[in-house]
Amino acid sequence: MSKEYLGEFEELVLTMVLILQEDAYGNAIVNEIKTRLDRDSNLSAVHVTLYRLEDKGYVKSSMGGATNARGGRRKRIFTITNAGLALLRSMKEARTDLWKMMPQLKFNY
Amino acid sequence: MIKEEIEGTPKFVLNILSRICPPELYEGIEGDLLEQFEVDEKEFGISKAKRKFIINSIRFLHPSIILRNKFSFDLINTMMLGNYFKVAVRNIQKRKLYSFINAFGLSIGIAFCMLIYLFIQDEKSFDQFHENRADIYRIEEKSFDTWQHDSADPYRKSAWIQTGVKQALKDELPEVIKATRYNHGEKAVVHFGEKVFTESLAYVDDDFFTMFSFKLLKGNPDKLFKNKSDVVITPSIAQKYFGDEDPMGKTIQIDLEKETSFIVAGVIESHPANSSLQYDILLPQENRWGYERNLAQWGNFNTPTFVQLRSDADLVSFKANLDKLTDKYMSDNLKKWREEATVPIPAEAKMMEYQFTRLPDWHLKTEIDWDKVSDPKYSMILGGIALLILLIACINYVSLALTTSASRRIEVGIRKVVGAQRNQLMYQFGFESLLLAFISMCIGIGLVILFLPSFNQFTSKDIELTSMNLLQMTMTSTVLMIVVGLVAGSYPSLFLSRFKPALVLKGGFTSRLQAGFTKPLVVLQFALSAFLIISSVIMYRQMNYITTKNLGYNKDQIMVIPTHSGWNIEADRLVQRFRDRAQQEPLIESIAGTSSSFNQGYSRYGYKIKDEQKSAYVYAADPYYIPTMRIELVQGRNFDASIANDSSGVIVNESLVRDMKWTDPLNEYLNWKEDSVGLGSPVIGVVKDYHFLSLERDFEPMFLSMNKSNVGYLTTMLVKVSSADLPAAVEKVKSIWKELNPNKPFDYSFLDEDVAKQYASYQRWMSIMGLSTGFAILISCLGLFGLSGINAVNRTKEIGIRKVMGAELSNIFVLLNRQYIWLSLMAYALAIPFSWYIMNKWLSDFQFKITMGWDLFMISVLVGLTIALLTVSYHTIKAAFINPAETLKYE
Repeated sequence: MSKEYLGEFEELVLTMVLILQEDAYGNAIVNEIKTRLDRDSNLSAVHVTLYRLEDKGYVKSSMGGATNARGGRRKRIFTITNAGLALLRSMKEARTDLWKMMPQLKFNY
Repeated sequence: MIKEEIEGTPKFVLNILSRICPPELYEGIEGDLLEQFEVDEKEFGISKAKRKFIINSIRFLHPSIILRNKFSFDLINTMMLGNYFKVAVRNIQKRKLYSFINAFGLSIGIAFCMLIYLFIQDEKSFDQFHENRADIYRIEEKSFDTWQHDSADPYRKSAWIQTGVKQALKDELPEVIKATRYNHGEKAVVHFGEKVFTESLAYVDDDFFTMFSFKLLKGNPDKLFKNKSDVVITPSIAQKYFGDEDPMGKTIQIDLEKETSFIVAGVIESHPANSSLQYDILLPQENRWGYERNLAQWGNFNTPTFVQLRSDADLVSFKANLDKLTDKYMSDNLKKWREEATVPIPAEAKMMEYQFTRLPDWHLKTEIDWDKVSDPKYSMILGGIALLILLIACINYVSLALTTSASRRIEVGIRKVVGAQRNQLMYQFGFESLLLAFISMCIGIGLVILFLPSFNQFTSKDIELTSMNLLQMTMTSTVLMIVVGLVAGSYPSLFLSRFKPALVLKGGFTSRLQAGFTKPLVVLQFALSAFLIISSVIMYRQMNYITTKNLGYNKDQIMVIPTHSGWNIEADRLVQRFRDRAQQEPLIESIAGTSSSFNQGYSRYGYKIKDEQKSAYVYAADPYYIPTMRIELVQGRNFDASIANDSSGVIVNESLVRDMKWTDPLNEYLNWKEDSVGLGSPVIGVVKDYHFLSLERDFEPMFLSMNKSNVGYLTTMLVKVSSADLPAAVEKVKSIWKELNPNKPFDYSFLDEDVAKQYASYQRWMSIMGLSTGFAILISCLGLFGLSGINAVNRTKEIGIRKVMGAELSNIFVLLNRQYIWLSLMAYALAIPFSWYIMNKWLSDFQFKITMGWDLFMISVLVGLTIALLTVSYHTIKAAFINPAETLKYE
C-alpha cells in the first residue's frame, strides 16, 4: 500500500463516512466533524472530498429516499467500500507502528 | 425542480448552480444546501441564513465540481450541428435581402476594424527594427522661450541642437559610445554624366552606419565617411544614375554651395516605410553649409543628434553629465540670454538644458516636432469610427433578427415540442449569428485587400499585406468575429428561445411583435449616423470656405520654379535673364522672384525696438512681385527697379503697422537690423494683409524687401502664365528654361496646388469622414429599410381594415411613417449637442473659420430626415397600395 495514501481531510471524511454508516451524506458529515472535533468545515469542501474518494474507489454512493425535509430533495448517501476500509486500517496500523518506534518519553519530576 | 416549497430561498443562485453542477450530483448538493439553510434559518434568522446560503452555494463553483461535468450536452450539440447549419443556410437563402443587409454591414464594419488594426500595428512598429533601439537616444534642447512667450508652457523643446555637441558628447561623456548628427531634407541638384535630378540629401556621421540597423549592401561600415568626399546611396538612386553598373567608386557631382565631387563608397538599403529616419543620399556632416562656423557657435541650434549609450548606462548620471556639458559650453551664452531677455524669467527656471528621448518613442512624441511624428489621437479617432460602424452593423443584426422573429416562431415551437431545451435553441441562434459573422469576416478580409491601397493614400502610409500580417489579421478578425457573433446574437437568441410552444402553435397570435428593445437601438443607430452627417457637413463647409476664401493674392495660373542656383546673386540674374527672354512670349504674362513661395518655408526676424521684442516674417521680392501676385497696395508705392535706394526700403503689411502702432507708416523706419547708427529701413509702401501663412494662422507682421545680402536672393521664380492654353504655356516655360539653363533640372509646381497642400491633412480627414459617413448612412439605411419592411408587413391587416373603413392613401402613409420621423428627430436631439462639441474642437484649429449656425444643423437634419423617409417610403407605399381584399380574405 505504498503509493496509495490519503490527505488529512480525506482521511477524516472517510472515517466519518464509516462512523455515520447509512446516514453519511454531505451535511451530516459537516455536522459530525463539528460536534466530534469542534472543527469547522465547509459543505463544498466535504462534497468535493467525497467525490474524490468516490473516484478513487474508497466510497460508493447511492440516492436515499425522499423526505419532507430539505425541500423533498433526496440525499446522496455514501458508504465505505472494502478498499476504503482496508486503506483506513492500514493507515492506522502504519501509524501505530510508528508510535511504537518512538522512544519512551520520560518525565522527571 | 421543486424549488417553490422553500420560501425565501434565493432561487437564482440555485439556478446558476444547477447549470454548472453535473446533473447526477446536483440533487444531493441542492438538498444539502437547503437542509443547511433550514438549520441556519432556525438558528440565525432568515436574512443571515440567506447570506450563508449564497456563500455556501458560491463555494460549490469549485473546479473539481465543474470539471466533473461530462459535457454531455456537447454531444447533442455536435449531433445537431449539421441540422443547425442546414437551417441557417436555408434561412439565409430564404431571406436574401436581410442576409445581405446584415452581411454587408458586418463585413464593412469588420473590414474597417481590420484596417485600423493594421494602421495601429504599423504605428507601433515604427523604428522597432533597430537592434540597438533600447540604447539609442535623441538629444533635445529644452529652453526658456523668450521669443514667443507663453506663460502656461514657457519652454520650447526642439530636437535641433548645436553642431559641436556631438563631438563633446562622444569625447566627454563616459556613457556615450557612439553619436551621429542627422540633417535631412535639403534638396540639391545631382549630376552624373547626362543625368541631372534634384535629390534630397541627408548629412550624417560615420557612426550612423553602425548605430542603426539599416543594412549596408556594399562598402565597409568602419571606413565610411572617414573621407569627406564619401557618399552612400540607396539602390534606387544607384539604379537611377548608373543603371546596372556597379556604383562603387563612381564620382557624382552634387551642387552644394558649389559643384562638389563625391565618390560612391557604399550602398545602403532603403529605409523601410515605418522608419523615422529617411535618406536617399547620405553625405558626411562636414559638407554641410557653414559647418566650420557652426562648430564653434554654441548659440546656433541646427542639427538633430543621436547617441548610443552603453547598455549598462545610468540615465540619471547621464542627465547630470549633460547638465555639466551645458555649464561648460553654454554658461556665457545662457547668462547673456538671460540678461537680454525682454520677458521676465523666474530665477529658478533654466535657460536651457538637454533632455533625451528613446528611439522607440520618437514617433509618437508629439511635443517635439519631428519627421513623420504622429499623434496617437489619430489612431484613436480612426478606431472610434471603425467601432461606430461595427456597432451600427451589430444593431442592424439585432433589430432585424428580432423583427423577423415572427417567421421563426413556429420553428421554435416545433423544436421545443420535439424536445429541444431552451439552451439548445440559444446555441442554435448563436450558431446562426456566428455563421453570418464568419461569412462577413471572409468578405471583410476581401474588402481589406481591395481597399488597402486607397486606405494607404488616406493615411499616407505604406502598409503592405505580408503573409505575416495577413495571418495576424485573420486571427484578430476571428476574435472580432466571435465577439460580434456573440454580441449581436445574444439578445436575439435569448428573445427567440423564450417563445412558449403552446402559445405559438395554437396559431391564435397576431403577427404584431412586441420587440420594444429595437426602438432604442434604431435611435442609437440613427444618432450615430446623424453625428457623422453633421460632422461631415461642417467639415465640408469649412474646407469649402478655406479653398474659396480670397487670400488677398491671386494664386491661379502661377508656376513656382526653384532657381537651383544657390544662395547668391546668380539666382537673381537667372530670374532677370528669364524675364528678358520671356518678354515677347504671349503665353507668359509676368515673372517675379522671391526668396520663398507660399507654403515653401519662410524666414522670420526678431528685433528689439524700444526694448520691446518684435518679430516679423520677411520675404525677398523684386518689383514685379506685387503686380504678379495682384497684392493690393493700400498706401505708398511698389519697389522700383530704377530707384537705387529702394533696396534698403521695405514694404510692410497692415499687421506690422498695427504691431508697431504707427499712424503714418510712410514716414516711419523699420529698424529690423537693429542698426544703432541709422534709423533703419524706410517704409515705402503698405500692402493689405494677405494670407502668406496657412489659414490656421492669423495675419502676422510681415515685410517685403529687396535687400539681397540680409533677406535673401530670388531662389524661387513665380511665372504667371496665360489661362488660354495652359499645357502649351507650361511647355513654353520649360523650353525657355532648358534653353537658358541646360544643366539645371526643371522642377515646377502650381501655386494653387502648393497652397492646397497646406490643408492636405484636413482634406484627408474629410475624405475619411466622408467615406465613413457614407458607409454609416448606407448601413443604417439598410437597417431602417429592413425594419420598415417588416413593420409594414406586420401591419398589413390593419392597413387593409383601415382602407376598407375609408382611409386615404395619405393617411396610411402618415400612419406608417410617423414613428420613423419621431425616431430620427430623437436621434438628432441626441446627436446635435455631441457633434457641436466635437466640431467646435476641430474648428478651433483654424484662425479663419465658419460659424456653426443653426442653418448647418438644419441642413443636416433635413438631409437625415430625407434619407430616412426615402428609405422607409418604399415599404409604406407598397403597403398602402395593397388591395385590402388580398390581405383580408384569409380572415
